[in-house]
Order: sequence, then structure tokens, then C-alpha cells
Amino acid sequence: MKSSIATIVLATGLVFAVLTLAARLSDVRLPGNQQGYEPVQPIAYSHRLHAGELQVDCLYCHSGAEQSRHAGVPPAGVCMNCHGFVTTSLGALRAEDELAKQEGREPRKLISPELAKLYNAMGLDERKPDPSQAQPIAWTKVHNLPDFVYFDHRAHQQAGVRCQTCHGPVETMERVRQFESLSMGWCVNCHRQANEIGVAGKPVNASIDCATCHY
Amino acid sequence: MTKDTTDQYWKSLNEPQAAGDEFPEPLDATRVGFRRREFLRAAGFVFGGAALSGCGKAPVERAIPFLDKPEEITPGRAVYYASTCDGCTAACGLLVKCRDGRSIKLEGDPQHPLSRGGLCAVGQASILGLYDTQRLRHPLRRGQPSSWEEVDRIVMETLERVRADGGAVRFLTNTVHGPTMRTAIGDFLADFPDARHVVYDPLSSSAILDAHERTHGVRVLPHYRFDQARVIVSFDADFLGTWISPVEFTAAYQSGRNLEVARPEPSYHVQFESRLSLTGSKADERIRIAPGEVGATLTRLAALVARRAGVSFEASGSTEELEPIAQRLWGARGDSLVVCGAQDADAQAVCNFINQTLGNYGITLDIEEPSHQLQGSDRELATLIQELDQGRVSVLFIVGVNPLYDLSGSERLEELLRKVPLVVSFAERLDETAETAHFVCPDHHYLESWGDREPVAGTVSLLQPCIRPLGDTRQLIESLSAWRSAPKAAHEVVQEHWRTHIFPQQAEQVSFQSFWDKTVRDGCVKLDHAPAPARQFNAAAVQPIPSATSNEFTLVLYPKVGLRDGRHAYNPWLHELPDPITKVTWDNYACLSPLAAQQLRVSEEDVIRIKGASSVLELPVVIQPGQHDRVVAVALGYGGKITERFADLAPRWLEAKPTVAENGRVGTNSAPLLELSGGTLRYVAAVELQAAGKRHPLACTQVHHNIRVPENLAPPGGEVRPVIQETALAEHQSNVRSGKEYSEHEHADLWGEDHPFTGHRWAMAIDLNACTGCSACVVACQVENNTPVVGKDEVRRSREMHWLRIDRYYQGDGNDVRVAHQPMMCQHCEHAPCETVCPVLATVHSEEGLNQQVYNRCVGTRYCANNCPYKVRRFNWFDYPRNSTLENMVLNPDVTVRSRGVMEKCTFCVQRIQEAKIEARRQGKPVEDGAIQPACQQTCPAGAIVFGDLNDPDSRVSQLLRSSRRYQVLEEINVRPSVGYLRLVRQQSPATEGEAHG
Repeated sequence: MKSSIATIVLATGLVFAVLTLAARLSDVRLPGNQQGYEPVQPIAYSHRLHAGELQVDCLYCHSGAEQSRHAGVPPAGVCMNCHGFVTTSLGALRAEDELAKQEGREPRKLISPELAKLYNAMGLDERKPDPSQAQPIAWTKVHNLPDFVYFDHRAHQQAGVRCQTCHGPVETMERVRQFESLSMGWCVNCHRQANEIGVAGKPVNASIDCATCHY
Repeated sequence: MTKDTTDQYWKSLNEPQAAGDEFPEPLDATRVGFRRREFLRAAGFVFGGAALSGCGKAPVERAIPFLDKPEEITPGRAVYYASTCDGCTAACGLLVKCRDGRSIKLEGDPQHPLSRGGLCAVGQASILGLYDTQRLRHPLRRGQPSSWEEVDRIVMETLERVRADGGAVRFLTNTVHGPTMRTAIGDFLADFPDARHVVYDPLSSSAILDAHERTHGVRVLPHYRFDQARVIVSFDADFLGTWISPVEFTAAYQSGRNLEVARPEPSYHVQFESRLSLTGSKADERIRIAPGEVGATLTRLAALVARRAGVSFEASGSTEELEPIAQRLWGARGDSLVVCGAQDADAQAVCNFINQTLGNYGITLDIEEPSHQLQGSDRELATLIQELDQGRVSVLFIVGVNPLYDLSGSERLEELLRKVPLVVSFAERLDETAETAHFVCPDHHYLESWGDREPVAGTVSLLQPCIRPLGDTRQLIESLSAWRSAPKAAHEVVQEHWRTHIFPQQAEQVSFQSFWDKTVRDGCVKLDHAPAPARQFNAAAVQPIPSATSNEFTLVLYPKVGLRDGRHAYNPWLHELPDPITKVTWDNYACLSPLAAQQLRVSEEDVIRIKGASSVLELPVVIQPGQHDRVVAVALGYGGKITERFADLAPRWLEAKPTVAENGRVGTNSAPLLELSGGTLRYVAAVELQAAGKRHPLACTQVHHNIRVPENLAPPGGEVRPVIQETALAEHQSNVRSGKEYSEHEHADLWGEDHPFTGHRWAMAIDLNACTGCSACVVACQVENNTPVVGKDEVRRSREMHWLRIDRYYQGDGNDVRVAHQPMMCQHCEHAPCETVCPVLATVHSEEGLNQQVYNRCVGTRYCANNCPYKVRRFNWFDYPRNSTLENMVLNPDVTVRSRGVMEKCTFCVQRIQEAKIEARRQGKPVEDGAIQPACQQTCPAGAIVFGDLNDPDSRVSQLLRSSRRYQVLEEINVRPSVGYLRLVRQQSPATEGEAHG
């Protein structure tokens, strides 16, 4: 009798343990896998707004993807192409205009707190512009491959692989998140598939030699 | 001790005992003192640790973009700037590869008219100097850090006083041939009533200039044109290794001997020398003479040539054995060349006489547009020392030389320097002389500098900065302009000089700006230089030299290919580079011929005492086949203060031994035996030798990594083939089949033909006839591929990490030897033995014929290295020290830095292959032949290495590998290497050479 109770207790415990583990199984990953990594950035830049709503092309900012191994984070100067004029959101501007009209005064110049960080970085402090105070922005790298992997954006961009294939729907992300596992198995799978079905309707030669990425 | 006279090639006199020793340390299982429980305990700890380490979070990495990106820079893309190498005074053209603002690699500039794309080992290694942690970063005042304001104030005050007093100002430099710098020094000195620019070179060629002053009335160094010469006779001039401008000379020499182009006959090269030099190792005929016989032999040769020309010139002694050489020279009169490296103006004058009589001036020797590469005047150096002795000098500036190290009598010289009221050194590092100077005003590294060079009259090249200065250093021309109270940036000074002096000397460009821009882009410009008119030859200045044979030992001080005069002795790459001939690293030593060693009863690593007139040296012996029996040869450039840094270079572990000797330095300075007599620095001296009864271990790589097929493993039906194969010139020209034929036979294949190479098929051809063994490729490979330095003790354990080595083979009896150099790296075998034994598939074959090594998969079983017939795999026994952030800036970001426990080897520079392929795809065109050059091919001054696609029948490599000279090393074991070698072509068979000079 005693032993059957013990068996039941143990069996229940085992089932419970398996279920709990199974639920957490999706979190189990290989060391170095950072899928889902979504660090806070020094400036709350929204890809959803820029790439999604405003439909700015990925390559406008990440122009390195065409010419270099690295797509790169855009220099602050690229931001200034637009944000030299756009200093805050349209909504905030309209509200200020509205308010100014009601109060019968000139609308104040508005700068969003996030863009203020950009201007500070450029040394464009409103009161006293001082280029010597310029400090580059230290973004946190999201997609981080190990040091023994040499990924090249050029080749993929040239072959017609969409950015979203690896980076996921960045245009819907408020803050960028590592969407795929970026593991070797995941890379090689895609290369194999590409060799069979091509990329964007074109046949490609996606090498699965080790030395394609490891040297 | 001596070897049999057969046509066998061998590596070491101790073969086969040493050669058969694949494992340097005996394998002794009883030494392992592990018990089972201890092992399990340790293993458990290791596994636990490994599991824990896997749980850690990845480190947060930052991506910091530019604020405003400069137009030409794209992160991750290399930019190349044309500049000029300042490793020595040869001034070869450079393309400096810069990635993200830092210079990471130097490549030879293919457009440069002199160096033609090559770069030597020293040039390749000089980039490490830029990131050297011990380079001075501030000015020093009496050894203490100071500021430029303070230095300027005191120096200018002193100069003001000296100018008023009429005191003597002396500017001591090595050869300065930069037009801007020469003018700047001249202008600076013009302000003083008694001022002089004194030039000396630690490796002096002053006698050549002095002799031309005598015979041609003008003190010049001729521009030697080895490409124009059909017969080259050299007396102790190591022009392929260290003499004047080795890269230029190697390229020119090779272009006169290239068997692939349609030149009727390759040039014929006779080398008279006392020690076995790199140049001697390439000679068609090599004759051993003592240094004291150089003058007399030249005289006899001159007499033979004079007789044919109908000029009178007396010589005593037998001329019989020189008869064939004189005949060859006469047959090629007008395009022959006799060069002499001896520091003896009398001998040089005779050499000039021969060249004059043969009508070589204006063709193979140019004194109308002479070389400026060495301008030193030892006589003026002697005068300066005299002046110092008399206490006449008030201010002494020292640039580019280190007299307390370079010259003998350094204690006395130091006393003299201490008596000078103001000594200012511009040294980049705190060397012996800089330590005694009142002020050290460190100059920029040349990659941080603006400047120019004029190695040959009319050929001017620019230096441009490729990186912002890393320390608070200042360029010499800026210091000089500041002290003239007219401070100017170096860029302005150089540009101003070019506007006023260089620009008017050319007609191609009409505006200065376009001329300047073009030169900055190209790096070099050829001026419409008005050649200086040739002077009349003064035959009266040439005196026959009587024979002076002595039975004493003669010391020969020579520069090594890696270290030269020792100015680069801070550079661990150059110390670890095996000497091309002796294959010794991390030391200098006394070379003795086998016979001499026998007579002195010493063997290798025994220390001998060398007693000269003023000093005694103790050095370990290296037995050098092919050396004259009464000569002891010692390298210069070692034992300097700057080598003290290597005290803790090697990885630290229980049995580690230091790289430096007991004196805390690497090697021994041999300059104390250098003599400055009769106005000439003399590198030969009579000495007495004596065994010192001690031993000093040497790290010699010559019997590491031997490749051969033991007789008992010879393939059935196939014959064992020599690793070095050669052919006679006549046989090659008859063009049937070059060299001995070996039977072809069927091989059983482990792999079927199921791995076709459909895309590219990378392969390499190495021309053994072109390779001089100069080892530039070894260093280039090391820089490109982040190969670590391991230190002397690890080299002694056969753990050197070079991916590319040059095997040097001898042929002959140990007295007269012939030499072959064979670059050996991973052969990328189609049937690679390493691949089949790797238990984790860390080394596999690519679709393009590369044997890939995957570091992240490797677990370090070392099975692959044991199974490699070519012995080219290298194992990381340690995490080799890479602790300095500054020094790590030289690392190539495109190549993984390997960690401990990982195997590595030549990749055919796969990072360059990938780059070229992707770049070609981006531009929508196929990969062009020649677009991919591995680092070794790029730097090779002789063009001995060609890489390319074997699937393209028109590629250069395909053409070369179809040559009748092609063979494969260890072909009989059927591993099908992708590297093919082209046979050596000998102009004389060993037998006839033996008869020629008995």
C-alpha cells in the first residue's frame, strides 16, 4: 500500500517535472545563441516608425550592406539629413501650433528628448553649439556573431536576399530584436534551400564550404 | 662529418640522425604520473567548468559609428595608400592597407619602377614598429618625460648661444636621400657658422663611393642594373640578401633569368665569397675565397680582361682558373657586371677598372643617374670622432643611427658624447645613444609621416601618413622648423619643397595641384632629370693589389637578412624568422666551415672565444657548409639594448626557458670587432679563435619538419623521388622534357571521381629557379594571418608557428655545396591525408580545392599534423601572449586569432579569395586572373609564387603548371597536391663545376 502511494506521488512528480520542463524547453538553447535579444539602446530609435510607417529603405541608413562585409550602423550625419529639419513628431508640432494660436503667441521650437540626444552627440547643443564636444553614439550591437565567423552582407545583398530573411520583420519592431537564432545550422539550411530553389526566382550558388564563413 | 658527393640533397650535416627525429622530446609513458582517481577528479572538474562556462551571458558589444563618415571610408573595407618603405634606405614602394583607420599590412607597390611590387622581410615586418609599446611617446629630457615646449625652449636657447659663439654644430645621420629632409637639414645648418652634416651607414658602402671619386672623379654609388647584365660576377656582395637594395636587385636579377619569357639566355652569375650568403646560394658558379684574397683575385681578373682589351694591367699569380670567367665577361662585354661588396677602396677601384674596360658603365652601371641609397662617408665619421675627441663639437644631433651600438669602442665614444654640451637624439626608441643624449625628440613612425625619398636620381617617391600619430611625437622636419623659429607642419614643408623644387623638374603635369594629387595617389614619380655628365676614367688611380694570403682566421661581420644592422631588433617577427641559410632563430653565432670546426675541435652550440685587436666575443658555433675554411662569420645587429624587451616573451609554463641569454639580451653585439681604419669601416679583421669550453643552445629549425619517404614506405612499383628536382639548362632549352623522368604508374584511389571541381580550382605554382630564399613571404604570411611569435625555447621544441617555411637543402660534400630553397606550405592535397584522420571533421575539402581548417571545430587531437606528409600543420600549444591593445592593432581583422589547443595551417589566404570573389560578384564580373594574390605571392620580389584558378586554362598558374619543369613534391604517395613546383635549372652540372675550380 505504502509503496503504491509512493509510486503515485513519484509518478505525479515526474509528470509535473516533465511538463514544467517541456514548457521551458523553448528557452533552452545552445551557448552563444542570443535569439530574442532586445537590448535597450542609447536612443529610443524606432524601426517601426522609420522603416515601417515612413518606409525608409533599409539601405538608406545601412548603406554598408552594399559595399562592405558590415551593413554598419549609420553615422549620425545620416540621421541629420532629415533630422536637421525634423526635430520632433508631427503630432507634437501640431499640438504646439494649436496651443500657440489659442494663447496668441509664436509657436515654440520643439525638440523631442530622444532627438536631443542625437544633437548632443553631434555637439549641436541648442544654447551653444560646440563641435569639439561631439561624442559618437555607442549603440548596443544586437546581431552579434562569434569572432570565428565572417559573414558578408555584400554577397547576400547582391544575391537578392531580403534583409528580413535574417533580421525578421524589423519594420514592425519598436526596438530591434534578434529574430532568428543566427546559428550555423540555420545558415546552412538556408544555403542548401537556396541552392535548390534559388533566391528571388534566380538560381544561386550558395556555398556550404566551411571556408565560406570560417577562416 | 662530410657528406658524400652525390646528387642527393640534404638539410643538415647531422643527417640522418637528426633528420629522422620527428619527435624532439622522447616519448616516455612512464613519465606520466597520473593515477586513475586523480585523472577522474581532474576530468570532472574540467567538465563541470566547461558546462558552467557555457551558461555565461554573451558580452555586450558596442557598435560605434562615425558622427560624420569620411567619404572614402566604409567600415569593413580596406583602403590602400601609396607610400614608401623606410625599413632601410632602399626605399621600396608601398601600398599600405588600412582598415577602419589603422594600417594593418604593407604590400609592395607593383607600379614602383625599382621595387616592382616586391617587399622584403624587413619591410613587411616594419609595420609592427608602428604599434610597438616601447616606442617613445613623449620627448625626453635627461631620460625624464618632458614637453615639447620645454625641449624647444632649451634647445633654442642653446642654439642661440652656439650661433653667437661660433660653436660647431654637427648633424649625424644615416643616408638621407629625401630631397625635403636633405634641404631641411641643409637650411637648418646654414644658420650656423660652423656646421656640417655627417653621414654614415652602419652597413657602409663608403668604399664604392670613395673608389668612384678616385676613378671617375665623382663620389657616387652607381645604380646597378642587374636586369641588363648577361654575366654577373660578384665579390662578397650579397645583393639578393642585404646589399644596397635587395628587393630591387632581386626583381632585376630575376627578370634577367626568367625562363618563361623569350630571352635567349638567362644571365650567368659567378659568386666569389668567403661565407655562404643568400646570393651565393643562387649563383651558377660559387667560388670560396678568403676576404683577404678579394683584391688580388679582382686584380688577376682585371689583368685577364685587360689583356683581351689590349690594355696593360699587371697581376701576379696564377690566372688559369679565372680564365673561363674572364672569357665569359669578355664575351658579354657591354652587358656584363662586376660588383664588389668589400669595404676596400683599392679593391673597388680595380672593380671599376674591370667594368670600365668591359664598357659596362652607362649600361649595367649607371653613374649618370646614380643611386642615392647609401651615401655614408666613413672618412667624415672618423673626422667627427676626432673632433669629439678634441672637444670641438658644441651641439650634436643624431638621427637614424646608434653610434654607441653600431661602432666599436662604445665606452670611449660614450665618454666623448657626454662631453658634448648638447646632444639631441631623434630616436624612436630609447637605444644606447638616446640614453646618453640630453634630449630625445622622438620622430614619428614613417607610416605617420609626410616625407619623400629619392633612392635613385630622378626617381622620387612620397611618404604619406596612413594613421594619426599614436603618441606625442614630432616629425624631424617639424622640430627643425620649430627651432628655426618658423614652425611649420611637415605636410606644408614637403608640399612647399615639391612646389619649388620637384614640380619644375617634370613636364607631364601643368598644374602643381594635379601633379601633387597624382603623386600622392601613385606614390612615385619619374622626373625629367638631366643626367650628370659622365667623367673621364682615371686609369692611374687603379693599382694592382698583391696577393695577401694568410693562414690566420679572418672574422667576417655580415648583416643577416632579417636583422640587417640591428635597427629593427625590437621586432620579434624578424628574430623568429629563420636565417635563410643557417635556419637559426633568435641568436647570432659564429659560422665555421666543417673543416675549421674539426680543427678547432668544436661542434655546433659549443661556445668559441673570438679574440680581435680590441675586443673579445664569445659566441656559439654553427657549422656552415660552403664557407671558406679560414673564415669565421658573425652577424651584426644582435645584442642591442632594445632586445631586453624579449625577457618575458615566451608563454609561461613549468618548463619554459627565457628567450634572452644570461646578459638579458638576444645574441651578442659583434660591432666591437668592427674597425674604422684608414677612413673606412672594415667588416673583416684577423682574429684568434679558441674553444671556450661552454655550450649555448641555439634554436635552429633546419631539421624540424623534414619531409621524405622512408625507403621501407616507398610505394610499390613507384620509386622514391627527390624532394628537390633539377634540370640542366641545355636540357630545358631542348624542351623535350626537363629533368629526370620518373615512371608513371597507376594509383589505387580511396576516393572515386565523385568530387568534381565545377567552379574554381585554386592552385599554386612555385618556381624553385626564381626563389632566392629571401624569406619575405614568411613574414608576409605571418603579418597577414596573425601568426603568433613563440620565442626561442618553443622554437627549440619545434613549435614555431610559421605557416610557410622555406626548406633549404644542400648538395655536395659539405665543403663546396650547392643550395636549393623550397618554400613549403600546406599543399592543399586533393587526397589530403589530414582530412581522413580528423575525428571531428575539423579539416575538410572545399568545392574549390582548398583544404579547410575549421578552428571552431578543432579539438586538438593533432592526428592531422602527424599524418601530414609535408609537415606543414602547426598546433597552438598555448594562448600566445596578446595582451597589449596597442600591439593587437596590427592584427588582421579578417583572420581569426586562434586559441590554445587548435590546429592551424596555410589557407591559401582564403580571406583574400573570399574578398575577391564577393567583390567580383558585386561588380558583376568574373574573378580576374591575378586579382587574388596570397600574401606570399604579393610580396615575393622574384615573382616565384603564382596563385590562380586551375579551371581557367589561360590563367598564369595553369600555364606554369603545364610547363615541362613542373613536378610535385612527394608525388609518389599520391596525395595530389594543389601546389606544383617548377624544377631548378642549373647552368652547370655538379661534376663540371667541380672540375672548373677543383
